[in-house]
Amino acid sequence: MSVLRDIGARDAAIQLRGVGKTFGSNTVLKGVDLDIERSERVCVIGPSGSGKSTLLRCMVFLETYDEGEIYVEGRLLGYSISDGTRKKDSEVQTANVRRNVGMVFQQFNLWPHMTALGNVIAALRIVKGMTRAEAEKIGREALETVGLAHKADAYPDRLSGGQQQRVAIARALAMNPSILLFDEPTSALDPELVGEVLEVMRQLASQGMTMVVVTHEMGFAAEVADRVIFMDGGSIVEAGPPQRLFSKPESPRLAQFLDTWKSRNASGSVSEITG
Amino acid sequence: MIDFTAIAEYAPAIGRGLLVTIEICAVSLVLGLLLGLGVALLARLPWLPLRWLIRSYIELWRGTPLLLQLFILYYGGPTFGFLPTSYQAGVLGMSLYTAAYLAEIFRAGFEAVPPGQVEAARMLGFTKLKIVRHIELPQMLRLVVPPTTNQMISIIKESAVLSVITVPELTLTTTRIVSETFVVVEPYLLLGLAYWSVTAMVAFGSRQIERRLVRA
Amino acid sequence: MLDFTAVIAQLPRMAAGAQTTIWISAAALLCGAALGLVMCAARLSRNIFLRALAAVFVSMFRGLPLLVVLLILFYVPPNFGVETTPLTAALLGLTLNTAGYQTEIYRAGFLTVPPGHAEAARMLGFSRLQIARHIFLPQIFRVTIPALTNEAVDVVKSSGLLSIIAVTELLRISQQIVSSTYRPLETYLVCGLFYFLMSTAVSSFGRFLERRLTPKPA
Repeated sequence: MSVLRDIGARDAAIQLRGVGKTFGSNTVLKGVDLDIERSERVCVIGPSGSGKSTLLRCMVFLETYDEGEIYVEGRLLGYSISDGTRKKDSEVQTANVRRNVGMVFQQFNLWPHMTALGNVIAALRIVKGMTRAEAEKIGREALETVGLAHKADAYPDRLSGGQQQRVAIARALAMNPSILLFDEPTSALDPELVGEVLEVMRQLASQGMTMVVVTHEMGFAAEVADRVIFMDGGSIVEAGPPQRLFSKPESPRLAQFLDTWKSRNASGSVSEITG
Repeated sequence: MIDFTAIAEYAPAIGRGLLVTIEICAVSLVLGLLLGLGVALLARLPWLPLRWLIRSYIELWRGTPLLLQLFILYYGGPTFGFLPTSYQAGVLGMSLYTAAYLAEIFRAGFEAVPPGQVEAARMLGFTKLKIVRHIELPQMLRLVVPPTTNQMISIIKESAVLSVITVPELTLTTTRIVSETFVVVEPYLLLGLAYWSVTAMVAFGSRQIERRLVRA
Repeated sequence: MLDFTAVIAQLPRMAAGAQTTIWISAAALLCGAALGLVMCAARLSRNIFLRALAAVFVSMFRGLPLLVVLLILFYVPPNFGVETTPLTAALLGLTLNTAGYQTEIYRAGFLTVPPGHAEAARMLGFSRLQIARHIFLPQIFRVTIPALTNEAVDVVKSSGLLSIIAVTELLRISQQIVSSTYRPLETYLVCGLFYFLMSTAVSSFGRFLERRLTPKPA
């Protein structure tokens, strides 16, 4: 069985096969197929309610999916199959399958009772059982990476939104993930703080991190993504390299989405962002 | 017209009564905290019958007068061969009563921890137990400080009803002095003053703690 | 071991006791609301003397056990030539007690109304009284329902203390039944059921009001 599961998965970071999900009578994902290659940078765009955040949350089983399969580094996520029926895994088994995946949330989700460094090293100490010295060494490096070494002892409520999100990125980085997922990482930020977070993300992208980013930042997608995925109504409508997708959208829905975006951002145009 | 010299010789007795009140309140608070926290933690287990049981305990104990609960323990206990002294019935009754209120406060505290923080911990590989221990509990304990100090003031006030089941605390001591001396006004005024100053002191102290917590 | 037959025969008496509990609690809550609103106005007034008076009132009745208030109200006045009946002492004590709490509830509710609402009304020519009546009171009532519900449950439970000064409410009647049936556990358990039903009814009504008065999202 395990041989079957691993076939064709060696190169892919995350594979989705016919993934579907419903909330009550509301279908939020309809048979989504998607392969995220190693070191690939994928941006997911689409109108609100299109299912893009749900898709991302399914990739780590923060949301359960009802149909299809998701493989993380070749291993089936969230379920085990025995005798042809599938059974939900325990939290510990699921955590093991996604152990190399880090997640950055829209609302940062820093723990307010710990300092910035405390947030970054908590999992190293508590989950990995490292000594304080080992953990702090890694933690300070991670904070260095996001340019916040000088804020190590600050509590989250003393940091700006942009700084909090950078600490959250450092917290994910400290666990040495091979894949990083970003769920609208700049949507909760004041406009002037967006840039510093995107800068850190650009830097990670240039270092070859596998990244899946749900975002409204078209400029960032155009510049950093290897592939942009446009979702609407719970399915992937169109996917491709940003240059082609932004300049020659094939589907009318994407064209309309881009038009709306253009008119809202009067100063920028798609040709400008595709450079 | 008001003359406290008539009851001056009872000062030591009043002092002893006050000490009993403080002692019972402190013991019930500690027991209530432990029991309330245990109940609030158990209520988080995904086991429906246990949750129902805990819910009923909390609702029943919060929905009936403490005095009645004391009557049931003290006068009803013997039906089951349980013969507590008034002091034991008092401590047990007050602890169970306090625990029901605190369990409800702790539950609300747990629910006030944003779910995103739990998701962040899950993504980093925290087990459920570790999430409770390192993420939820520390924040919950901080959130519940103001309602818990309010509860402390309540406990002190409610403890006066222990006099009805003859626990020799401050109120009972005072009513006994009244019936021995036939002096009515001064003992009762003194009694009121004693409770008011103790509760006012606790209220003042808790405001200081809250202010410090906010700053931290 | 448990034998409820003797107690069941006394159910009508207990129901009558519960009725007394209900009407005394309701009366105290209403009088307490009136006094609480007045004290709240004093607490928020610009007159420093009124503010101090209200602050002492609140501190005193939130800091004193109801039992002690009742003992003082019942036993002290006769020494100054004022006769009191158990019922007047009971009503007065419960009212003062709940008024102390209600003052703080209304004050907290008042502080949740954004000052802009009063400014908007003033710009439209509302008088101070009209602002209080039409802008503040409706909003305060809505946000204070959960706290007022808790307070109502507390009053129902506290009224059990009136048994100490011989008001024949539910708990007093239960004590009388115990002394004739010698069935303390059974009697007090049934008595507890009555109190539980009353508190549950009060809190359910509170939740119903809360739902009714919360504006539904469009």
